[in-house]
Amino acid sequence: MKPGTRLKSAACDTEVMVIRCADGEIQCGGAPMGEAKPAEAAPLSADFSGGTLMGKRYVDADGKYELLCVKPGKGSLAVDGVALVTKDAKPLPASD
Amino acid sequence: MAEPGFSGPAIPLARWADRQLRLLAQETGAAAHRELTGQTLLGERGSANGYTINGRISAGVGGSRLMPTRDGGWLALTLLRAEDRALLPALFGHDGFDLSDPDAIAAEVVQHDGAELVARGRLLGLPVASADEVPVSPPVEVLTEGPRRQREAGRPPVVIDLSAIWAGPLIGHLLWLAGAEVTKVESLTRPDLIRRDDPRTFDLINQGKANVLIDFADPAQKAVLVEHIRAADIVIESSRVRALRQLGIDAAALVAETPGLVWLSVTGHGARGEAAGWAGIGNDCGVAAGLSRALADVCGEIGYVGDAIADPLTGITGARAAWTAWREGRACRIGLAMSAIAARALAEERAFDRALLDAELRGWGAAAAGPFPTVPARAMRAPVRAPGADNRDWGLPPC
Repeated sequence: MKPGTRLKSAACDTEVMVIRCADGEIQCGGAPMGEAKPAEAAPLSADFSGGTLMGKRYVDADGKYELLCVKPGKGSLAVDGVALVTKDAKPLPASD
Repeated sequence: MAEPGFSGPAIPLARWADRQLRLLAQETGAAAHRELTGQTLLGERGSANGYTINGRISAGVGGSRLMPTRDGGWLALTLLRAEDRALLPALFGHDGFDLSDPDAIAAEVVQHDGAELVARGRLLGLPVASADEVPVSPPVEVLTEGPRRQREAGRPPVVIDLSAIWAGPLIGHLLWLAGAEVTKVESLTRPDLIRRDDPRTFDLINQGKANVLIDFADPAQKAVLVEHIRAADIVIESSRVRALRQLGIDAAALVAETPGLVWLSVTGHGARGEAAGWAGIGNDCGVAAGLSRALADVCGEIGYVGDAIADPLTGITGARAAWTAWREGRACRIGLAMSAIAARALAEERAFDRALLDAELRGWGAAAAGPFPTVPARAMRAPVRAPGADNRDWGLPPC
């Protein structure tokens, strides 16, 4: 998948932009994400219902995946069933 | 500039800043405001640090660059952090180019239309601007209002300054020069990096402010901050709107509940709607204001005008807005949009004396590759407090 691709959650309102990814399945709310929204919404898995926050960057432990939340929702993000975590924002250096 | 201590070209819009300072001095009655000049506030950072005027590369560390786009426009992109560079593959839709090479980045930019890059860059949270955009927000906007408070005559305002970098801290500094009691609040994990990156500017605009360091991960410390905000007259912050909300600080609710509380939200492009999520800093906001286009129109070559010029213009504008609202005892949250403030300054200066402004823009363009203008260094009036030096006064753990 190309960086810059926008993915939509099948289970909630979440949308992300792919910053970095490998070949695993990107999921939200327990269901695979896709470029188009499925006709029928997938059920929101209780295990992946922590919610996404607008503007936050989500990463995996190995640094292979990074997703930017561009629309928040009730589901939480995962790759192949392993939850992603937020990347802490860094302070801005000098104004330029 | 004929005055002693000044040399080099006039900074376009310095005269506008000067007129704003004269108004501020009238409103505050502060002698320290009467002594300031626009050229000083717009030029003191570049002058003290020996910057050069670099045309399409910003003065100073050169983190902002103007690059041509496929459709014949110009994109300004500011890259200061490695994690911002990491977003570039998503901006251009592919990887396989050198993220650290400005020429490689420019080669990508020219393959896209400007509007597409600006839209996508803003979604990604990158500070981007088009030379031909029109700022979407009003320069100064009252977002919410709260109950009025009768002011005790003669008591100076108590200010909590949560802002970082240049524009917000300059507002706090200007209020301090008028007698305000200012506390600079920094996050333990996200301190104001200007202290490290540009100590001369940091000291100048943060002198005399008490300093408190807060661990935002600790609810008890956050509660102490909120308690001090409720007792304050003016709050200044420059966080992204959603970042503040995610920290659990609700500006609108605090203004609605606290009589007379004036809350300034310093933003790149606005504190409301979609623009509230856009990143913007001094140089790219100057481009978004149309300043680089104005330069190109008179001298044929595009470039940055001034040094992060939207920052000091916003500093002066914010100080006036805060002082006026405080004097009236009016609780309100005021959104300041740096790009729109610079655009208003440009429009007003054009109306004031178009020929003089154009001559100054020509002079600025002709000075490219030369040194940044020199302005006299202002003397320090008070010591600079170390991070967390005043934590004890707030009952917070010492640092």
